[in-house]
Amino acid sequence: MTAKLSPAEDSKVTDKAPNTAARIADELASCGVKLVASLPDNWLMDVIETIKRDDRFIHVPVNREESAIGLCSGAYMGAMGSVALMGASGFMTVIYALTKINYTYEIPLLLLATLRGALGDHHKHHVSNGLYLLPVLNAISMPYQVIDKPSDIVLVSQCYRHTRTYSRPMVVLFTRDLLRGSHS
Amino acid sequence: MNYVECFRAIARRRTNEIIITSAGNSGQAWWSVTHDSVASFYLDASMSLSTMFASGLALAQPELKIWAFMGDGAFCMNPGMLMVERELNLPNLTHFLVSNRVYGATSNAGLPNLNNNDYGAIARAMGLERVFEFSSIDALERQFSVLTAANASGHTFVVLEVDPFTDDEQKLEQPPFNGTELKYRFGRHVEGMVGCDIFGYRI
Repeated sequence: MTAKLSPAEDSKVTDKAPNTAARIADELASCGVKLVASLPDNWLMDVIETIKRDDRFIHVPVNREESAIGLCSGAYMGAMGSVALMGASGFMTVIYALTKINYTYEIPLLLLATLRGALGDHHKHHVSNGLYLLPVLNAISMPYQVIDKPSDIVLVSQCYRHTRTYSRPMVVLFTRDLLRGSHS
Repeated sequence: MNYVECFRAIARRRTNEIIITSAGNSGQAWWSVTHDSVASFYLDASMSLSTMFASGLALAQPELKIWAFMGDGAFCMNPGMLMVERELNLPNLTHFLVSNRVYGATSNAGLPNLNNNDYGAIARAMGLERVFEFSSIDALERQFSVLTAANASGHTFVVLEVDPFTDDEQKLEQPPFNGTELKYRFGRHVEGMVGCDIFGYRI
């Protein structure tokens, strides 16, 4: 589920916000998140590396995205705050787990994912995510929040708390501009 | 060994363990022999995720002892879960792999490669050290104290070779719970055992 950026594409990222990952980590810690289960997406690597180094979190790399859904749902039943971190393609593989576990049992879960296939994503293999990610979310009535600028990172903790009120999952979708900086 | 009798033997040795069952026959069998409605979470229709769910709970509450059941049909869908389980290596988690070589919940349809799958070898290849395999109730009962040793150094993986459900066993009652009802029954029990606050929000 990890897409690889070529060096040429990486060089197009010019003004990456250096503290975006740290601010996301702070938001997660502020609302009591302890467990972070992840599968990488290149856009998320700063966030994952930041969380791995941060003693406030237990970072668990998982073998596939569905495992993160199971792990975080079980952690909820043990009163441990958690998030599942993944790419858009990975998210598209977890619909079964979300609907069977989190919808059936009304178990809250916050997912953090990438808004692949949107403006600024050069990868043709993510065109399908551009076409279908948001329609799939709408089809399963799953709330989402797009975050595309640093000043909106505060919404991460609001979304986490909303899952606890709503007793179901929701997903925060980070844009390329937020995670990798704007393009030249 | 007979599936239900195997579960009956395990239930006899249970003290205060928390149970997670999987999609398929394990929920039926556990409900049949225990009628436990508070300390068992029947994670129905969760193909391959019961032990990940159990791992999250075991990680969150190290003082709880968790037994998680999973059929080999579910296991075949996601054997890489053992990589995560090994990485966590939680001493309070026992993964019971119930091997009947069929998809028990779907008319006992055969598994791929059913005669050759060696689940113990797969677990050892992923680095698990506490791996046990049983094909008789006598052997299971003889070694049960080793499985549940209080000073276990890490995660325990137990393969139970059982017969598929008979036609009559397939008619065993499913755990009669709505998902949300089960969440609260189980969650309140966990809250009471360890003094945590799972649900938090009150009207």
